[in-house]
Formats: sequence, structure tokens, C-alpha cells
Amino acid sequence: MKSGAAFAAFWGLLLVILGTGLAVWSGELGVGLLLAQGGLGALALALLQARRPPQSRPRLLPSLSLPTVVLALGLAAAALGLTAGLWLVLIGAEVALFALVWLAREIAAERRLR
Amino acid sequence: MAGGAPWGRGVSAEPGTAPPLPAAPPAAPAETAIGWIASTDHKRTAAKIGAASLVFFIASGVLALVMRTELAHPGLQFISDQTYNELFSMHGSGMIYLFLTPAALALGLYFVPLQIGAAEIALPRLALFGFWTYLCGGLTMYAGFFTNNGAGSDGWTAAVPLSNSAFTPGIGMDMWVIGAALAVLGSLLIGVTILLTLFRLRAPGMTMLRLPVFSWSMVVTTFMVVGSFPVLVVTMGLLLYERHVGGIFSGSGGAIAFQHLFWFYGHPVVYVMFFPFVGAVAEVVATFSRRRFFGYKALVLSLLVFTALSMAVWAHHMFTTGGVQNQYFSLTSHLLAVPAGIEYLDLIATMIGGTILLRTPMLFALGFILQFLIGGLTGIVVASPPIDYHVHDTFFVVGHFHYTLFAGSLFGLLAGVHYWFPKATGAMLREGLGKLSFWLLVLGANVTFFPMFFLGFDGMQRRVPDYAPRLGDLNLLSSIGAGVIALGILVFLINVVVSLRRRVLAGDDPWQGQTLEWATSSPPPRHNFQRPLPPIDSHAPLLDRRLAEEPA
Repeated sequence: MKSGAAFAAFWGLLLVILGTGLAVWSGELGVGLLLAQGGLGALALALLQARRPPQSRPRLLPSLSLPTVVLALGLAAAALGLTAGLWLVLIGAEVALFALVWLAREIAAERRLR
Repeated sequence: MAGGAPWGRGVSAEPGTAPPLPAAPPAAPAETAIGWIASTDHKRTAAKIGAASLVFFIASGVLALVMRTELAHPGLQFISDQTYNELFSMHGSGMIYLFLTPAALALGLYFVPLQIGAAEIALPRLALFGFWTYLCGGLTMYAGFFTNNGAGSDGWTAAVPLSNSAFTPGIGMDMWVIGAALAVLGSLLIGVTILLTLFRLRAPGMTMLRLPVFSWSMVVTTFMVVGSFPVLVVTMGLLLYERHVGGIFSGSGGAIAFQHLFWFYGHPVVYVMFFPFVGAVAEVVATFSRRRFFGYKALVLSLLVFTALSMAVWAHHMFTTGGVQNQYFSLTSHLLAVPAGIEYLDLIATMIGGTILLRTPMLFALGFILQFLIGGLTGIVVASPPIDYHVHDTFFVVGHFHYTLFAGSLFGLLAGVHYWFPKATGAMLREGLGKLSFWLLVLGANVTFFPMFFLGFDGMQRRVPDYAPRLGDLNLLSSIGAGVIALGILVFLINVVVSLRRRVLAGDDPWQGQTLEWATSSPPPRHNFQRPLPPIDSHAPLLDRRLAEEPA
């Protein structure tokens, strides 16, 4: 109860029940599944909480993360490229790849400091 | 700098213990441009989201003013039909995808860690990534105005087949689709960080049933975000594929399938724009009634049930399609009145017997409670299929959702902004200007949106730039009201600027708040708490401490 797993599970199960009710009432499995899957995130969280309760210990955190920003810009450019043209997809993907490597180095540095 | 990232050590503060460790090595160059752009501090990320959403709000509000000017008189037609289509589409899209949803999440991102005694958020990089994704999405949507065919013009719902490439050709609509996907993806990621923070980083002693009401509202809000937002991202991907390749929604039943997928996001998002403000209003009501929030556990249960039910009502937007199980969705829609009633009872009961202080945050909270009631009650009307058949796609529906989202949610947001502004900035907002903006907004909102119920019942269709001359008077009244709203917003913005330039220092706890954010400095330090936290024995630990210190 303290970890909150019960609340997340309750909410997720409510959606599964509502989805089952919808599927039975309407005779449409698809819409019932659409509703029931909405609870999967909460159920996954409940599982995480139950299996790995949070530990109160110091965490090393970044104050800045420039590669995160560059990654977002690269992915957005690549997405826009889907309509603007392949050239922008490629530029965006390149930027995103560069940012991913940068981010990996940043995270590796973080782990070394632990 | 290791790998380009200065590091700080964040810990959850424990009650009665030494303060968290300071940043080591020294914190980021906070006041530099990079410090703002790339800071992973949840408060900075939230401030960035808040600032961006404010800009999108103003832009989308200006579009509404142009629309209301066009509708002020029948036959005016100073803009083309296509331009009008773009205006209402971008107004709705801007307000929903780019303003209210992100603003609600920004409020949570800023104050949830403070309320639960956490030094940081879970996955701060993810929140930062979410902000930039959202911002890129918003700019992409708006950039459609600079393309040959103009911006997206199929409403904020982009219903198929209207939104396929045959009926809405051009790159502007593509940009709308991509922008919506990016913006919603950004909001989803921000929601994930808030949810994980609530579950993983609570201070010792802060059990789930000791979470402040606002934090609980963010728990259920982020449940909905995680449950429904991915569907919209996928749907926008499918729509883009449909526009360029086809074969997804073009077959038999494709339009209904699209509506199911869209509204599975589209209705819960209305509640994502509602529950955080219920939580904010509840904090304000308790603080300014000088009472503990009434019926806490009933409220928690009602929030859980309300949000689960609200995931199951999406197809009440589709009653008139004839392609959905109307009885089921009408029943679930009506059932929402039960948990909503519990929340209203709790809010009112908190005030009864309290010492009510009518400061600006409380006025906005009361405005939210009263005006949202009109939105809620008219929601029951449109939840009834026989009546919905009459008012579907009319101004009645426009009036209904503007009472919920503007007269309700925006007032709730402003209650929260006026309440927490001193905490976030260290400066008090001016009471006189706050009350002036409140009354202007009350007047403007009701003059603008109440006539829409009559217009809708009289048959005025939404999303059309012209109408029958007999509807002219009420439309003129509504347009005048829109001008008053603009004035109210202007006064609010002036209030913010004046209060930041000529600061009246707030102190740590100007309102005698009840929750942990008022136990730290204003504005809070990088890792939120530098002093030991008070003992956490309930959802109102500062009220507990105050009562314990009072002479018997």
C-alpha cells in the first residue's frame, strides 16, 4: 500500500473491467481492447512498485544536459523531414545520432562519478 | 565538466534530518543562456513549458479574436472561408495541444516534487527532452501558416476523410499532423516523469495517503496521460501515412476507426486539462478557508474512479455517427456525475465553517467552481444521445466546452498561478490588478460563452464563418465578451510584469499554506529543500505543525 502499487493496480484494473464491459456490450472486441490497453501503463507501474520498491538514496544528477536538447531537435527535424523531404530526414537523423553518442558519453561520465 | 554535464547531487530530504547535500561540484551556470536551454532542474523545465504555453495561448487567443470579429455581424466576411478554417483549427489546436495540457503538466512538474519532499524529479533528462519535443511540435504546427496552402484547417480533431490529402492537400496540414504528434509526445514524456516522481521519489513518511490533494490530482492525470497519449501519437503517424500512401483509414469503416483512435485521446485530454486544476483549486480552497481539506480519502477514491470512467466515455463525441454503442457511452458519461458530485461536496464542505479569505487565488477558485458547474451540467445534456442529436456540431457544444476549458480550467489555472506565483518567483502578485483581471474575465467569459447555448439550440453551426441574420444580436454580444476577455488577460499580464519589476517580497509562506512547498524558500533552491522537512503525518504537514505549535 505504501509504495502505491495498489492504487496503480486498482486504476489499471478498472480500465480492464470497463474495457471488458464495453467489448461484451457492444460486441466489438477492438474498442474494448482499445479501452483496456489504456490501463497497461498503470499496471506496469504497479508491477514495478511491487517488485522494486523505491529506495531513498542520493542520486547523482546532471545540472545541464545539452545533448538531450540536441537529440530532441534532431528527432523533430527528422520528423519534419517526412513532409519536407529526405534531405531533412537525413540531417535530423545525423544530428540525433551525434546527440545520442554525446548523451551516452554524458551518462558514462555520470556513472564513473558514482 | 564531465562529458559536458556539471553534476549536482540530489537526494530526497528526510523529515527532521539534515538538509540534502549541496550541489557538488558547483551547480550549472544557471543564468547563462545554456543554463536555461539545457537545465535539467525541474523548476526550470516547468518554467520553460509555462513560458512557451503562455506564448501559444496568446497566439491562439489572437486567432479567436479574429474569429469573433468575423462573427460579430452576419455577412461581414473580411476573411476568406479557408482562412477561417485555419483560424478555428489552429485556435483549438493551440489551446489544447500547446497551451492547457502543457500548462497543466508544467504546474505538476514544478510543484509535485516540492509537495512530496523530493529534491528532484525522476528522469530529468526525459522531461527536458519532452519540453523541446513539445516546443518543436508547436512551432511546426504554427509554421504551417507560412506555407502555400496555409496551416492545418481541419479542426483540432483532423477528422478523416476531411484531413486526407484529397480534401486537404498541402504541406501545412502535414506539418499540423507532425506537430501534433511531437507536441503530444512531449507532453507524454513530461507526464511520465511526473508519474515516476510521485511513485519513486516521495520523502520518507510521505505515503500515498499523505500526498497533498494537488499531487493526487497529478497521479490520476498522469495515469490518463500514459494511458491515452500514445494512441494519439500513433494515430497521427497513421494519418501521415494515409495522406501520403493511403490504405489506412480510406476503406470501409476507416473514418469511424480514426474517430475511435482520436477520441480515445481527445476526451481524456479534456480531463488532463481539468484534474490538475481541481487539485490546485482544492489547495487554494483549503488554504484560504483556513481548514483541512474535507473528505480527503473520499476525494482520492473519487479521483481514481472519475479518471478511469473518463477514459471510457470517448465515443459520446460519436453518438451521431451511428457507429458506436450509444447506450454504453451515455451510461458511463452520466456516471461521471457521481465522482464529480463527491469532489464538489468536498470543496464546498471545506469552505463551510472555515474562515474564508477572498484573496485573488480564492476568487479564481470560486470562479472555477461555479463556472465549471455550468460546463458540467451542460455536459450531462450532451451526454444524452437524443439531445446530442439536436445540438451536435452546434454552438451549444462550443459553449459547453468553453465553460469547461475556459471558464473552468483556465480559472483553475489562474487560481494556481496566483497561489504559487510567490513561491516560484519570491514576489507577490498585486491584489488590485488580480481582482480586476478576475472580474473582467468573469464578465468576459459569461458574456462570450453563455449566448452560445441559445445560438446552438437555435441551430447555429460551429466552424462556419457566416450565419443567418436572426442570430446576429447574440453573436455580437459574444464578440463583445471576447474583447472583455482579452482585456482581462492583458491586465493579468500587466500584473505579472509589474509584480516582477517592482517586487513585493513574498517570504517563504505568505498564505499560511498547508503543504511542503511552503516549507522551503521562495523561490526554492536547486535541490528544493535546504532545511529539514517537518514531520509528515498527513496530507497537510504544515497545518499539523501550526496546530501543534498553537497554545492549547
